[in-house]
Amino acid sequence: MAAIIEKESLIGKAIPKMDAPGKVSGHTRYIHDLNLPGQLIGRILRTDRVHARIISIDTKEAEALPGVHAVITAKDVPNKPLGVTKDNPPLKGDKVRCERDEIAAVAAETEALAEQALSLIKVEYEELPALFDPRQALLENAPVIQESKPDNISMEFDYSHGDVEQGEAESDVVIEDLFKLHYVTHCCMGASGVIADFDSTSGNLTLYSNTQVPFLHKREFASVLNMDPNRIRIIQPPIGGGFGSKLDIYPFEPIAVFLAQKARRPVKLTFSREEEFLASPTRQPAYLRLRSGVTKEGVLTFRTLDSLLDNGAYTSWGATIPFVMMQTFSSLYRVPHCLYHTTTVYTNNPYAGSFRGYGNLQATFCVEAHMDKLAEAVGIDPLRFRLKNAQQAGETSGQGMHFKSCGFKECLTTAAARSDYAIKREQNLKAQGDDNAVKKGIGMASMLHVGGGAKIYPSDGCGTILKMDDFGHVTLMTGASEIGQGSETVLSQLVCEELGLPLSAVTVVNNDTDITPWDVGVHASRTTFIAGNSAIGAARLAREKILNAAAGTTAMPADQLSLRGGCIVIDESGEAVITLDKLLRSLHFQERAELVTTSFYYEPPSVHQDKAFKGDVSASYAWATQVVEIEVDTLTGVVTLNRCTAAHDVGRVLNKLGIEGQVEGGIVMGQGYALTEDLLIDEGHCQNPNFRDYKLITAPEIPEIDLSFIETMDGEGPQGAKGIGEAPAICMAAAIANALYNATGVRIYEAPFSPEKVYRALKGCSQPLEW
Amino acid sequence: MTNFKSYLAPATLDEAVDQLNQGNVTVLAGGSDLMLRVGAGNYDPSHTLMNILKINELRNISFEDNEVQIGTLTTITEIREDPELSIKMPLLGQAADQFASMQIRNVGTIGGNICNASPAGDMLVPLLLLDAAVELARQSDGGVASRRVALKDFFVGPGKTQCQSNELLTRVSIPFSKQGFRARFYKFGTRPALDISTVSIGIGGIFNNGYLQAPRVAFGAVAPVPFMALKTMKAIEQSPLDSERIKEIAEIARDEIKPIDDVRATAWYRKQLVHNLTIKVLSDVTDA
Repeated sequence: MAAIIEKESLIGKAIPKMDAPGKVSGHTRYIHDLNLPGQLIGRILRTDRVHARIISIDTKEAEALPGVHAVITAKDVPNKPLGVTKDNPPLKGDKVRCERDEIAAVAAETEALAEQALSLIKVEYEELPALFDPRQALLENAPVIQESKPDNISMEFDYSHGDVEQGEAESDVVIEDLFKLHYVTHCCMGASGVIADFDSTSGNLTLYSNTQVPFLHKREFASVLNMDPNRIRIIQPPIGGGFGSKLDIYPFEPIAVFLAQKARRPVKLTFSREEEFLASPTRQPAYLRLRSGVTKEGVLTFRTLDSLLDNGAYTSWGATIPFVMMQTFSSLYRVPHCLYHTTTVYTNNPYAGSFRGYGNLQATFCVEAHMDKLAEAVGIDPLRFRLKNAQQAGETSGQGMHFKSCGFKECLTTAAARSDYAIKREQNLKAQGDDNAVKKGIGMASMLHVGGGAKIYPSDGCGTILKMDDFGHVTLMTGASEIGQGSETVLSQLVCEELGLPLSAVTVVNNDTDITPWDVGVHASRTTFIAGNSAIGAARLAREKILNAAAGTTAMPADQLSLRGGCIVIDESGEAVITLDKLLRSLHFQERAELVTTSFYYEPPSVHQDKAFKGDVSASYAWATQVVEIEVDTLTGVVTLNRCTAAHDVGRVLNKLGIEGQVEGGIVMGQGYALTEDLLIDEGHCQNPNFRDYKLITAPEIPEIDLSFIETMDGEGPQGAKGIGEAPAICMAAAIANALYNATGVRIYEAPFSPEKVYRALKGCSQPLEW
Repeated sequence: MTNFKSYLAPATLDEAVDQLNQGNVTVLAGGSDLMLRVGAGNYDPSHTLMNILKINELRNISFEDNEVQIGTLTTITEIREDPELSIKMPLLGQAADQFASMQIRNVGTIGGNICNASPAGDMLVPLLLLDAAVELARQSDGGVASRRVALKDFFVGPGKTQCQSNELLTRVSIPFSKQGFRARFYKFGTRPALDISTVSIGIGGIFNNGYLQAPRVAFGAVAPVPFMALKTMKAIEQSPLDSERIKEIAEIARDEIKPIDDVRATAWYRKQLVHNLTIKVLSDVTDA
């Protein structure tokens, strides 16, 4: 009798990430470990001014240095501007506008020679009046940063639904507050880097790049370099973290290409840690003025948000965070009337890029502060107030977001119950007046974020090619990049689920634009959802082919067969009919040979926002509530985070280990944003470009973390899953601010909550926020 | 990386002081401060880099009749883990425990921490509190001569000490404390590890009958050098300590320090911290 094979599933299991052994054992070869034959080292000369006219650049001595093969300045290269509004030339020829500005670059035999060559370049400047405070950017006499934008406005966003005047008239309580958010930066373990290599015969360009968006990158490079995109190939070595920082093209990348072009040798350009701090993007700093209303029954009536974003000298993705911010203001809770305005202004400060959460940390900080304040004003406890106004499944928000599945209320009640929120909150309030110098606080915050892709570009899709060889091994070629988030493992699991294979039967190829099908890139928490659905699509096509072929050889109808344990089995009994590898070989080695390959392209059922920013931009939405418990030392202002209880609507858990790691990492990133990380910019200059003074959270500071996953089994998600990559970082600053208030009765409107800032607030000596 | 002109690793103190006598020498011990300076380009590459780690006589901890002598090359980890030291001078072990990170403690030396003369040097406040002195060796008539300088007089300014360019700090001597002496050290940074102190405070003395006799108070990171707070000490000595008096003393301490604004804190906040933490530490010391 044939063997009986039980149905097994990898979904929801705790599976170590496929890339983990190499990374933890130090064997993974990152871009820093790659060296091409004949390669030169590229280095960039950056300005030490923040706003100045360049009078002259003298590169003669650098060029004459033996071992230097190329020296370039703006006049040597096409220099088409980069960035979201194309205002950032790779090399600056006329003016420098911020500390990081690239003036010249060299390619030399060694790093030391390249450094020496930089030191020989002489630049003459004429200082220009500088603009550091975004609040002064719109003044009549403000210095102009970009000549093409004499009003200093980079971008403006306006959104509304309903009628806020009516909403205000219906309100019993109206509050208004000003909030300020600071600069932080990604601190990827792998600093930025690129290797540019021209094929000497064809002239084709291969770029070894850490980009998160290889296909968009290829297109942009073609434009910047005036090259046919077909002649550009992007290979991504394993990427040491992205978090959004590698979503845009930055000057160092075309600079490396220009150097390679000029030197006719491969050029490798990687950042030192200090350069990574000085010259990679930041999270978008912001001033936000929020006005909110509520009825005495505790129903939200309206929200008005006015915000000012410091664009810095050039426009990267940071300036576009209103796309996401407005969703939180309009749609996290039911708000019948909403008015939103953002102005993004040029200054001589660093510029911000995309960063995990994409404006949602900033928006949630304000919204969740107001949820606590409004609840207090109408005498309802904060949990009940949130539950009363929370969105639920089936609703469409004022902004047009349709919540087909929604575990928001379960997130709220689960996190509150598991943390004893109500009891502890009351106890802490009572203890505020006692003479204990250390106060305890508990605070909650919730969030909404896209969980099914985000239709920003013409397509939000991803392609998959699946190949099965004659040994029953699957090669999954996906457009989706692995940047440490665990996509290789999850995609493999999804394929295994369809094809009844163990994880070891799958190899993932995801890093070469000459091989992999198109994908829009790793952003917007989209990879599991979009690339997952795409991988499932390709696997189902393969499954159909295999079962049809098996039907032919076994005389069983295909719909009664199934794939399990590397075999074709009778679905009902589990009885093995033939092993998969044998079947595949029988297809292959015959007169009309067939190789099982399939391709599938997944485009999510979402729509672009219209001109008024309305539309159901994601196929699914993720929800979460996080409750934090802190201690505040009132003698020093030190806030200690003891515990975080997080409940996330994740659709469904695919890889338990992966999702736990993703959420824990996000919580710690959010903790750093709230408490310790602060990129200090003084008159345009970064004061702490190092890990001594830029304080990432260290191991002993990581709180006890309690995770709950709410499985809403999203109808559109791969096996019911939603994307949650960004979600866990979003609530922390908001929740900790609420906990601070619970502990001390003092509310802080400006992050991070550094000991000195907290101490000043406790003493009533805070600098008042103004805008 | 800087191209060093020359590098030496003498095996004896004789050779080391001989080399120092020839001038233009930078001494390398653990390297945890020096290599950062080199990396930042704040190092004169024409100097000879002299690695003293091979001089074994600079390494041991010895207990004499009246004092303990700690060799300059003793690492912070060795101080932290020495069983006899932890009984006789628990304050040193406590301070070592809060010193930077395990990796830095494993290479960083006591002599290096002293010679680096950072206003925020982690071991300096407890050493001041314990009335430590340093031995400085130099070449003399073909042999080695040495002089002893009290630590309280050793620091001249940020990164500057009494140690002359021809001298090598060979050991730290700490007298055994008198019967009944108790001391507390508090390093305040914004996180539990890997931090430069924002302020550090050490207070000690013999608490008797409401008085803290022979009081010692030292502060770090609140002036150009770590220093003994003489006015505060005098105030402590004058009258018995109750909670009201401790508050008054905290105000005197606050007014005695001369902090600056830097990326870690403002001067205002440092004064507040010194005030609040003086109350805390002094209360600890006097709390029977």
